[in-house]
Amino acid sequence: MLARALETEGIATTSISMVREHTEKLKPPRALFVPFPFGHALGRPDDPALQHRVLRAALDLLAEPAGPLLRDFPDDAEPGDLPAAPAQASGIAAAAGTPEDPALETSQMRRYHEQWLARSGGRTAFGLSGVPATRFRGVVRFLQAFSAGEDADMDERPPEAPLPNFIRYCADDWKALYFEARLAMKPGVNGEDVARWFWSETAAGQVLRRVGKRLEASEDPRWKAAAFGVAR
Amino acid sequence: MPRLDRLPQLNRNNLLMLPVQVNDTTPFTVPAKPLTACRIAIVTTAGLHRRDDRPFGPGEQTYRVIPSHTPLAEIIQSHTSLGFDRVPQMRDPNISFPVDRLRELVARGELGGIAPHHYSFMGAQRDLKRIQEETGPAVGRRLREEGVELALVTPT
Repeated sequence: MLARALETEGIATTSISMVREHTEKLKPPRALFVPFPFGHALGRPDDPALQHRVLRAALDLLAEPAGPLLRDFPDDAEPGDLPAAPAQASGIAAAAGTPEDPALETSQMRRYHEQWLARSGGRTAFGLSGVPATRFRGVVRFLQAFSAGEDADMDERPPEAPLPNFIRYCADDWKALYFEARLAMKPGVNGEDVARWFWSETAAGQVLRRVGKRLEASEDPRWKAAAFGVAR
Repeated sequence: MPRLDRLPQLNRNNLLMLPVQVNDTTPFTVPAKPLTACRIAIVTTAGLHRRDDRPFGPGEQTYRVIPSHTPLAEIIQSHTSLGFDRVPQMRDPNISFPVDRLRELVARGELGGIAPHHYSFMGAQRDLKRIQEETGPAVGRRLREEGVELALVTPT
């Protein structure tokens, strides 16, 4: 869709496609269908050789004289045994003995997150809520109160962000803090391992399940949409 | 993957329920120069933007401009659907935004150069009318004015 719009303006495009069935219908000018799980458009993280193979295959389509072109990247490049889409909270049981104090747990995770920042050169997915990690306990209290059915809000919420959007940003930041902390703790783990750990073993995961349930129970479609992004 | 037959039922149904435009033909622009002389931009639907830029809201059909010299530590993703794994993006942003790989191709002489700006849209959209009619073509015109011939379109 986007590629078609660009092409109409005289820009030659080549696209990476993750859902062949959609691409067949849309007919972008040139698309490379890749057999990778969602979140892995170029193949594998930290694998420049595979990323270059994908890019080369996509750029090769630009040499063709006419389209639409839909080519398949060879199946043998599929990365390991990762599932096509990550496990969801509803499919993961909470472990017995999950920590009870999410604020304390968050402070512990921040120490590992600092290790992550040191290792990544400051790169982090944390930062959508606008509340810095040093003051994140306030966000934890806010999400706990919301999950308990209270009429909760935060002064830090920007006026242009409706409450459900802000809840989503807060939940995303909380997850980013924990996910990156986990990657610092156990550098070899993949996204599936991290998701299973988060939803089964952390207090944060249990609070976010309840946040999702409260949003889902609302009649407001914006709240329901936010629920779908917090925990499903 | 995302071969649909390998997806969990819930994800498969979500994808199949997405309204997808059915087209019979496609606009097609043949690059005016060889790739070794073309400038390339990334146009992504990964919902990326500069850290100090406004995050995307759900269903937002506007775009964000990312100067191509922006350090990866200054880029953040507000497309955070639970339908995809965020860990690869955390580990290596080149997974959807391959700026380092493109620079390597330019250094090897396989591409002519990198555009001054990359562009980003929000992914997983249901209504695409404004992108199709307004914001998508606007990015195309900007690229043309910037002397860019090629766009690599990437999802999350």
